[in-house]
Amino acid sequence: MIGRKDSAAEDAAGPGGAVTAAVMERSSDGDLAAVFQKGRPEALALAYERYGALVYTIARRSLGEAADAEDVTQQVFVSAWRGRDSFDPERGGLAAWLTAITRNKVTDVFRSRQREAGALRAAVGQQAASGQATAVDQVIDRVVLSDELARLGEPQRLIITLAFYTDLTHDQIARTLRLPVGTVKSHIRRSLLRLRTRLEADGVSH
Amino acid sequence: MSHIDPEVLALIALGEEAEGPDARAHLARCPHCAHELRALVSVVTVAQQAGDSGALESPPPALWSRVAAHPDVRAGQGPTMAGGHEPGPEPGGAAGLRRRRPAWRRPAAAAVVGVVAGLIIGAGGAAIIHIGQQQAPVIHVMGTSALRPLPQFPQWQAASGSAVMQTSPAGLRLRVTVEAPSGPGFFEVWLLARNGVSMISLGDLNRRHTGEFTVPPGTDLHNYSRIDVSLQPFNGSTAHSRISVVRGALPS
Repeated sequence: MIGRKDSAAEDAAGPGGAVTAAVMERSSDGDLAAVFQKGRPEALALAYERYGALVYTIARRSLGEAADAEDVTQQVFVSAWRGRDSFDPERGGLAAWLTAITRNKVTDVFRSRQREAGALRAAVGQQAASGQATAVDQVIDRVVLSDELARLGEPQRLIITLAFYTDLTHDQIARTLRLPVGTVKSHIRRSLLRLRTRLEADGVSH
Repeated sequence: MSHIDPEVLALIALGEEAEGPDARAHLARCPHCAHELRALVSVVTVAQQAGDSGALESPPPALWSRVAAHPDVRAGQGPTMAGGHEPGPEPGGAAGLRRRRPAWRRPAAAAVVGVVAGLIIGAGGAAIIHIGQQQAPVIHVMGTSALRPLPQFPQWQAASGSAVMQTSPAGLRLRVTVEAPSGPGFFEVWLLARNGVSMISLGDLNRRHTGEFTVPPGTDLHNYSRIDVSLQPFNGSTAHSRISVVRGALPS
């Protein structure tokens, strides 16, 4: 046995859904953004590891078709890389920037689908387009929230999940999980604030 | 007037009854608390719309190759990226290694490492450390690779993982993350030799299924070119259990 038991202490990178979650620490978001902007070769791979699922899921849930979602995901990362000079880490995080590009690409797909649908329906199309834009925004917010939820540690994630999706009150949650009521209340508040911060940073309808 | 306790406000946003009429009366006349409540309610609303099955979907494995192969990406990235990160069943370890050594000795990185090496001995574990005026991270990410389940273990088909190789003042560090349901036992990370038999144990993953390991100095990475993550039963045996959860190329 060589070099056993060398695991580093972990912090906020949650164990959740996406492979992206723990590729880099949460705290190094800014570092990833900075190396991305500088065009460092590994930055695109890391950005993809970290946000590929976010971009793909938004595209998939907005567009339905897996093939379209794959095309959009490829386009998003290629455009992000091509346009990295215009990315300003001071103005917002990498996730927010990628989300904005995803939104544009998804909207492009809707437009081209409408063109294919023909000029006859152009008038209705205009109306449909604005409805679709709203729908895309909702998808983005939900996916961003799910992403952050997956990044919460335990027991925070379990507590807030029970609070969101069951009828249990906070003291019932405390009894169920055998945790002090005060702990549950404070986790609920902090998790809600964390989700709110992430939504305000990377979501669109705020 | 004192505002509503933020913890109570969070519970109200979740639909719990406010304790007593005071809170309701306060909300009616306090713009600050009303604003906070609206913001929290909108978070709760998005969460409930998203549903608890809203887990993100990973893009299909081949998609990264399409991104990496795009002409604009290849042109912008140079040779490190063009082949080094493509997830494939058996990426060429040799090609990766030839790039690995020069990267480690790259003058800029080496200079930074030299400057700070003495400062952070014993500080191990931090992912990225900035020292004083130095903006370059001391720990340099060399590459990432995807870890995938093997066809002969159908019970792990939903598993996935990733590995990041970093240089640090102390040597090569490998960060491994696995996404898999916990099983009866613990996850152990191994370097697997080309003959598919010889293995070096790097260590165990923590409760969050991640770990960061020092690659033993002097390891022949040309030979030990793959990563294997096993599920080890708690039976006291130090040998590989023969249950591989995911496997992948050592990142270059």
